[in-house]
Amino acid sequence: MAEAFLIAKDLHKSFNAYKAVNGVSFTINTGEVFGLLGPNGAGKTTTIRILSTVLKPDHGDVTIGGYSIHDSAGKVRSLIGVCPQELALYQDLSALDNMVFFGRMIGLNGREAHAQAMANLELMGLEERARGKVVNFSGGMKRRVNLAIALMGGPELLFLDEPTVGIDPQSRNNIYETIEGLRNGGMTILYTTHYMEEANRLCERVAIMDGGQIIAMDTPRQLKSRIGPPEQVTLEDVFLKLTGRTLRD
Amino acid sequence: MIRAIIVAIREVRAYLQDRAELSFSLLLPIAIFALMYGAFGGETLFNGTAYVVNEDQRGLYSISLINRLDEMDNLEVKLLSQSEADTKLKRSDVLLVVYIPENFSAQLSSGKETQIIFRQRGNGGQEGQIVASLVQGAAEKISQEIQVERQVQRALLDKYIDRDHIQTTVQKMLDRERVFPIIGVNEETIGTGINPVHEFLPGIVTMFVLFAITLSARAIVEERKKGTLERLLTTRLGASELFMGKFLSSVSRGLLQTFILLALAYIVFQIFTPVTFIKALIVALFFAAAGSSIGLIIASIVRSEDAASWVATFFTMTMVMISGTFFPIPEDSALYTLSQLSINTHANTAFYTIIAEGGTLSSVAPQLVILAIVAVFGLCLSRILFRAVLGGK
Repeated sequence: MAEAFLIAKDLHKSFNAYKAVNGVSFTINTGEVFGLLGPNGAGKTTTIRILSTVLKPDHGDVTIGGYSIHDSAGKVRSLIGVCPQELALYQDLSALDNMVFFGRMIGLNGREAHAQAMANLELMGLEERARGKVVNFSGGMKRRVNLAIALMGGPELLFLDEPTVGIDPQSRNNIYETIEGLRNGGMTILYTTHYMEEANRLCERVAIMDGGQIIAMDTPRQLKSRIGPPEQVTLEDVFLKLTGRTLRD
Repeated sequence: MIRAIIVAIREVRAYLQDRAELSFSLLLPIAIFALMYGAFGGETLFNGTAYVVNEDQRGLYSISLINRLDEMDNLEVKLLSQSEADTKLKRSDVLLVVYIPENFSAQLSSGKETQIIFRQRGNGGQEGQIVASLVQGAAEKISQEIQVERQVQRALLDKYIDRDHIQTTVQKMLDRERVFPIIGVNEETIGTGINPVHEFLPGIVTMFVLFAITLSARAIVEERKKGTLERLLTTRLGASELFMGKFLSSVSRGLLQTFILLALAYIVFQIFTPVTFIKALIVALFFAAAGSSIGLIIASIVRSEDAASWVATFFTMTMVMISGTFFPIPEDSALYTLSQLSINTHANTAFYTIIAEGGTLSSVAPQLVILAIVAVFGLCLSRILFRAVLGGK
C-alpha cells in the first residue's frame, strides 16, 4: 500500500463571511502527481496557501512528511518547494542571482546554492542565460525560472500552481518533460491547472474543487468513466459536467 | 538572522544597481547642499543695490547724494531712467526705487525744502527697507551739512569774509568730520554669531532620513505585488526575519544618504571634527532605525504602493510640522507638548546638541533611548500587524 506523504484533514478557511475552503480533505501518496482542478474562485489557491504554510486554516490540519503545519511549520517548509501562479521573481536580478537568493532563503550555503542553481537552470534549458536579467526574459523563460527556483534544495513535495499559464508550446513542453522527469525520480507533486489535457497527461489522481469543497476525486480514467466510455470522454467534459457551464469571476 | 542579513544585502545591492534611484539619492543631498550653500555659505553681511532715478542730473546735491551712497561698502548704486524704473517696478524686478526730483539741488541752493521719493512695491521688501534707511541717512547728513553751512554764513555775514572761503572752510571741516567723527562706533566681538548652518542642518538631515519611512513603507507591498512575498514565506525565512531584513536595508539606505549629506556638510562648511561627524552618524543611525520601523508599521497595514506612499508622506509631513523643525516652538504651548510625540523633535535636539554645541553622546542619551524604543516597538508592532495574505491570519 502506498504511503501518504501529505494528509489534509477537514480544512476550513474564511475571509470575513466568505468561505474560501470548506471542509477539504485528501491525501497525496509519496511519488504521486496529484491534480487539483477547479474553476476560478473554487478555493485551490487558498488550499495551496494552507498546505504551504502561508495561511493558517481556521480549522483542520495538514501533515506533510509526518510534520503538522501547526506544530512544525519550519520542518514542513524544509520538505516543500512552491512554484506560485505569479512569476515570483526579482526582475532586477539575473536568473542565477534569483535562484541563489531563494536557495539561501531555504538554508543552502552560498556554494551549494550556486551549484544547485546552475544545475536547475541547465535542467530548464537556461544555463546560457543564467546571468541575464530576468526583466529581459520572455514569458516562457520566466516561467521556467519560476519552476527552477521551486526545485532549489531538492524538495520532497512540489506545489505547482498553474505553471504553464500564458507560455509558448516549446516552453510548455519543456515544463512537461521536467515534471515527468521529477515524477519518474519519485518526487511527490501537487499540480493545479486550468488545462485539462495537462492534468490528464501528468496526474495520477485529480480532485475537482468548487465552492471551497472537493466535489470529485479519482484517477482521470475513473472520473471520465462516470459520464461515458473513457476513450470517448475528455476530462474537460467531466469538469464541465461537475462544475457547470456558468461563467465564473 | 543570517537570512535577514541576506535579504538586506539583496535590497541594498538592488538599490546600488538601480542607477535612477541611486542618482536621485546622491543628487538630492547635493541639491539640498547647493541650496544651503547659496543661502548660508557666502557673505552673511548685508549687500544691497540702490536703484536711483536721478532727474536732477547736473545738480550738486544730487551728485553728492549718489556719490555718498556709492561710497558705502555694502551698497551698489544703479542709475535707471524713469521708464526703466517703472518697468522694473511693474514686473517686480525691483521693489524700491529712489527718485531724485529735477529741481532737487536748485531748491536746496535757494534755501528751500525739497524731497526724495521712495517708490516701492508693498513695503519695499527687506533689502528695500535697508536701502531706504541708508538713503535717508545720507540725505539727512547732507541736510545737516547744508544747515551748518547756512548758520556759519549767517554768523559771519558782517565780518566781510569771502563767501566762497567760508563755504570751502566749512566743507573741509565737514569732510574731516565725516572721516574722523566726533562720536565714533567701536565693535567688540564677544563670541561667534548664530551659525545658520547649525540651525538648519539638523532639520534638513532629519527630513532626509525620514525618506526611510517612505522606502520601508513600500517594502512589503512591493514584495506582495511581485508575488515574491508568498514564495519567501514558504522558505525557511520567517516573517520576523523578513521584517528584520527590510528594517536593516531601510536603515542602511537612510544611513548611506545621511552619510553623503553630512560628508558634504563636513567638506563645504567644515562644521565637524572627525569625532562630531561620527557622533552625528550615530544619531542618524538611531533616527533611521526609528523612522524605518514606523515605515514598516505602515507597510504591514497598507494594501497598495500608492497607499504606502501617501500614508508615509502624510506621516513624514506631520512629524516635521509638529516637531518645530524649521520654526521655534514656545515651551509653554500645547504644540510643544505635542512636539514630544514626534521622533523629529528628539532627533533634532540630538543633532543640534552634537553639531552646534559639540555635545557628547551621553548628553544626548535620553533622545537616543527614545529613538531606540520607537525602533524596537515599531518593529514588533509591524510584525504583529503583518498578514501574509490580506484578510488572512
